[in-house]
Amino acid sequence: MDLMEKLTILVAGAKYDAACTSSGADRPGKTVMAGCCHTFSADGRCVSLLKVLMTNYCVYDCKYCVNRASNDCRRTAFTPEELAGLTVEFYRRNYIEGLFLSSGVIRSPDYTMERIIQTLQLLRRRYDFRGYIHAKTIPGAAPELVRRLGLLADRLSVNVELPSERSLNLLAPNKKREAIFSPMKQIRLETEQNRQELVVYKKAPQFAPAGQATQMIIGASPETDYQIITLAAAMYGKYALKRVFYSAYIPAVADSLLPAPDVKPPLLREHRLYQADWLLRQYGFGAEEILSPETPNFNPYLDPKCNWAINNMHRFPVDVNAAGPETLLRVPGIGPTSARRIVAARRNGRLGVAELKRIGVVWKRAQYFTRTSDWPPNTRPDKRTAIRALIDSTVYAFGAEQISLFQDTPGIRPLPTARDVGTVAEAVEEAVLCLASSL
Amino acid sequence: MSGVKPLAVPADVIYTYDGSFDGFLCCVFESVYTRELPFGILCGEAAPPALMAVRFIAADREKAERVRASIPLKISGRALELVTTVFCSCLAEKELRLLEFLLRAYREGGTLCAKLGDAAVAPLLNAEKRLLGEAHLLKGFVRFSDVGGALTAVITPKNYVLPFIARHFVLRYHQEQFMIFDKTHKAALVYRNGRAELLRIDHVAFPEISENEVRYQALWKRFYNTIAIEGRENPRCRMTHMPKRYWENMLEVSDLVHPAG
Repeated sequence: MDLMEKLTILVAGAKYDAACTSSGADRPGKTVMAGCCHTFSADGRCVSLLKVLMTNYCVYDCKYCVNRASNDCRRTAFTPEELAGLTVEFYRRNYIEGLFLSSGVIRSPDYTMERIIQTLQLLRRRYDFRGYIHAKTIPGAAPELVRRLGLLADRLSVNVELPSERSLNLLAPNKKREAIFSPMKQIRLETEQNRQELVVYKKAPQFAPAGQATQMIIGASPETDYQIITLAAAMYGKYALKRVFYSAYIPAVADSLLPAPDVKPPLLREHRLYQADWLLRQYGFGAEEILSPETPNFNPYLDPKCNWAINNMHRFPVDVNAAGPETLLRVPGIGPTSARRIVAARRNGRLGVAELKRIGVVWKRAQYFTRTSDWPPNTRPDKRTAIRALIDSTVYAFGAEQISLFQDTPGIRPLPTARDVGTVAEAVEEAVLCLASSL
Repeated sequence: MSGVKPLAVPADVIYTYDGSFDGFLCCVFESVYTRELPFGILCGEAAPPALMAVRFIAADREKAERVRASIPLKISGRALELVTTVFCSCLAEKELRLLEFLLRAYREGGTLCAKLGDAAVAPLLNAEKRLLGEAHLLKGFVRFSDVGGALTAVITPKNYVLPFIARHFVLRYHQEQFMIFDKTHKAALVYRNGRAELLRIDHVAFPEISENEVRYQALWKRFYNTIAIEGRENPRCRMTHMPKRYWENMLEVSDLVHPAG
């Protein structure tokens, strides 16, 4: 089989893995600390790494996976030389920032890991490759192999795959919870130990300098958004993860335990999960502030931050000339950048509405939640006006089908679909009425 | 500010200069010393048809150096950085806006740069942000092809970003030889034998690419076309992150803007 065919098969097998960024590593010769996107694929996702499988042979039979043993498809494997050569040539031409290497389990977890390590060794030693490497550890591989992998890669990840042990046992019978969380724990410990070594000896080999990440599949199993967010928050705390990625389940193979193949992937739900994830990592929110056992699922119409603001109207308006940065961050329409800029700018004079707009605050949303020297005017707008401004118009781009995938949020009527209403404006109006009465 | 004599008063004159940064600094020099705020500052020696007097300001290294030295001294280091960056940007009437900013900053000092919401400062910061944003995107979007062992690429950015991406590519390809040709600004970043230079070039003729290069280009296109997930196509999202004006120079999507044939 020639390289072109192998590439096609092994890329097609890897594309559902979402945990793919190039941020956080600081190597000599690597100047972009933040991630660097080299292109965007037709689905609008950033391509920064050569995302491939070492092989799509797999002895496991995880129900949701295209590469499951029982799926009848063409199988192949890269040799370490082929893959290392390809990575270097792509890197030279500035197509990619590095390699994202995952693999099906061929023969045994240990054997698979050794093939991966061999490839990375070729890259780092023979080709003196300074690019980014994100490697998957294979659940069940020996700790020593995880350690060797970590010394070669920038980031490691172990996929938790499904948000609960029950679903894991059901859909991925060969993967044990223990086999997933023990390497995660090991990676955390090794990273901490390595940090101390680096203090003592600057040139100590670095262990996974960009930390570890994980991903889970959304919509293949019945967990609520609250369960997912709580799990993510716990993992950020316990295993010091850099990122948790959420991947809307796309029916690739039919199975009686899975949603039917014609069910659309829950893209809007995935979008809301990422928004909530951002609130956890960058905005100082706790999981229980975003959702609760009483309202375990996201509101499809409002992003989690706006939803929180509407439910906590007593905390507003916030005085932008006095409030601390963490309070500013909670205002809809103010993000980390504009919060930072507000704090810097107000040292040199009071800020009014015109200044805030020029600073980059989204006034459409922020106006209902802020107080400045020349705001608010005498009459305060009612709740309905505020909700109208906060409704996430991307909902309508996702389509009514996506909204219908949300499990019924208590208090919210069945929502208007494109068929019921003529225009987006009408749909927004109806949603506003609906939300104003229930929130 | 009543009672305070303005540093310059509006005058019915248009400055023209040669387009260099030194030339621009000499315009600042002229404005401060004649105490006049020109109606406009235009690039190029050809006098525009206008009802106003046109004065050509010749670039003078000594005057430029005096202005350059005065900025960190009387304003702040950040102000010099902002002025140099915005000068490379594609902001409309950037020269006049920068002059107005400098005249105010000489009076008010370095704190002016921190007034992020000020009507004179915000557009400059915005232009700077756009330029740096474009430079960041291009760090990823530049596509090299191997021509006889050297790497070559063409870009068509709105802003003059070459000085801002040079460091990145020199560090990334420190053992290679490469050239990035900026077609819009007729300039090239050339790196060979461990030395990087920015050159003014009007035109570059690239030789035919080798068979090996064709092979890797085909592999890359195949990778790109395979990696997208069919159930999630989202052309709008792709265009938001990767605006179409970059596509012509990007191997994997250039066919979409110029269909073959």
